[in-house]
Amino acid sequence: MTGALPGVAPMAVPPGAFLVVATLLFAIGLAGALLKRNALSIFLSIELMLNAVNLLFLTYARMRGDLAGQMIVFFVIAVAAAEAAVGLAIFVALFRTHRTVDVDKIALLKW
Amino acid sequence: MSPALATALEGAAKIAFVWGVVLGAVLPNLIWVERRMAGLIQDRPGPNRVGPFGLLQAIADILKMFMKEDVVPMYADRLLHTIAPLILLVPAMTTFAVIPFGSSIHLFGRDIPLVIADVNIGILYVFALTSIGIYGLVLAGWASNNKFALLGGLRSSAQVISYELAMGIAAIAVFLAAGSLRLPKVVEYQASGTFLGFLPLWNCFPQALGCVIFVVSAFAETNRLPFDLPEAEAELVAGYHTEYSAFRFGMFFMAEYLNLIAASAMMATLYFGGWSLPGLHPTGILGSVISIAVFAAKTGFFIFLFIWVRWTLPRFRFDQLMNLGWKIFLPLALLNLIVTGALVLWGVV
Amino acid sequence: MPALSGELVVFGCASFLALAFALLMVVQKTPVRSVLSLIVTFFGLSVLAILLAAPFIAALQIFVYAGAILVLFLFVIMLLNLKEETADKDDRPVQRTLGLLVALALGGLLAGATLRAPVPPRGPLTGPRIPMPDEIPALGRLLFSDYLFAFEVLSLLLLVAAVGALLLSKRRFE
Repeated sequence: MTGALPGVAPMAVPPGAFLVVATLLFAIGLAGALLKRNALSIFLSIELMLNAVNLLFLTYARMRGDLAGQMIVFFVIAVAAAEAAVGLAIFVALFRTHRTVDVDKIALLKW
Repeated sequence: MSPALATALEGAAKIAFVWGVVLGAVLPNLIWVERRMAGLIQDRPGPNRVGPFGLLQAIADILKMFMKEDVVPMYADRLLHTIAPLILLVPAMTTFAVIPFGSSIHLFGRDIPLVIADVNIGILYVFALTSIGIYGLVLAGWASNNKFALLGGLRSSAQVISYELAMGIAAIAVFLAAGSLRLPKVVEYQASGTFLGFLPLWNCFPQALGCVIFVVSAFAETNRLPFDLPEAEAELVAGYHTEYSAFRFGMFFMAEYLNLIAASAMMATLYFGGWSLPGLHPTGILGSVISIAVFAAKTGFFIFLFIWVRWTLPRFRFDQLMNLGWKIFLPLALLNLIVTGALVLWGVV
Repeated sequence: MPALSGELVVFGCASFLALAFALLMVVQKTPVRSVLSLIVTFFGLSVLAILLAAPFIAALQIFVYAGAILVLFLFVIMLLNLKEETADKDDRPVQRTLGLLVALALGGLLAGATLRAPVPPRGPLTGPRIPMPDEIPALGRLLFSDYLFAFEVLSLLLLVAAVGALLLSKRRFE
């Protein structure tokens, strides 16, 4: 796969490099989401995963020469903002009742 | 000389010029001007001990900042305590990169536009930098391990975020009229015609509401009176920079003044025609120098306005401040946007 | 081996920054430092976006993501006064190792799959061609023509999120 499009200068950096960086970031975010106990840290790792996917979208947009990829990233950023607002409100409400944000301790649904 | 090298040298020369003027000439004199004007308004002499008319006051202040003891509170987070002023200072310094300070100058056979970086995202760069500056305020409050500092930091960042919104929407109308996000294009647009036949096409005339909102929001963004509650001396000791002394405080101080200069430059560029004067079409090197002088004069006027308002008006209460930002400015900025859109559609601007 | 150019150097620095601080973010014990590491990661990602001919998205990344969303995170952390991550006796080393292995395995799998996947050709849903000298007007036109419905729904979503966040975090006075 190359960044070659007809009539446009090829990418100086091979697009495979961008893809590798994006998937590595996604994996790091996933590791954080699986391994952390603090609910806010898990949320931050999820945000990192979202951004890794944004980078993937941008890389493919550049490889295909398609502006629609950037449009999708625009929407992802906006939706992430909405999700962050609601998620943090939930954490605040959770903290008020449980006095902790340790996800191992917030286990009311377990028998 | 290869084109790449020529571009690099141009850029370096422009950066040296802007930073030399701002950091070397404007900033120290601004300290003196502010104190003397404060004295003038408050019917007292102001600094007049150091040098003739107290002109060397800035040097005295800088020496003091270097020589005082650098105190870091005991349980404070040292790393954050150190980098917080830097996070506030660096965006303040780099805002000048996109502001056009003159029309193009013709030197060595090339036409050099007098703006350090004509990025196609223009104003978004400035807003992004403002957003980064917020972290400096919040972290300064948090890292001081002091309740008053934390409250000051949180208040300050809440204020900056709220007014950033109103300021952004007011500024959108400017870019709607100019048709581009680039600041040089905005200035060219304002130099390009007249509004209603006799007024210059400066954005302060068709978008007076937006201009007022932008100017007042700039006061809130730079934490200047009447919006300086986060630094309120009587209430919060010194707000987010309570636990800072010596050079770190000096960095906050410098950052505040640089923000002030940058905000004045932005106001002059977006709403008052930047480097252009109606009826003046600069040609040649003399013309470029005149355009730089015009820009400097307009920026100087707004700096004067900032200082004047600071020593004249009392402070807003925090709930009044938030009320103004969200409930009054935001709807008015949207109204301004709609009206400007209509004017652009009908070809009036 | 691609030729050494300015872009390659910038790419190297930005991706190193992004990856290093992402790792730091996952490793940090204090939530505040995690957020700060993530901010630096976003700076790196923003530079990568500029390299990919997306300056508007790069500015948005800093302006919206790093400058507003993460400030919100920071506010919540400071208001809840979350200082340290709780570390208990039952640290569950088995679970940690398994989690790490799963993440590494998935990362490797995904990287391999994306590198092998072919680039889909331009189809009916594609937008204007990039890179272009100034794609911000084109983005605007695209937003208000093809994606108008999504835009309107997005504004509604943001309104719902704002109201929801207010209601969820409201203190009930009993």
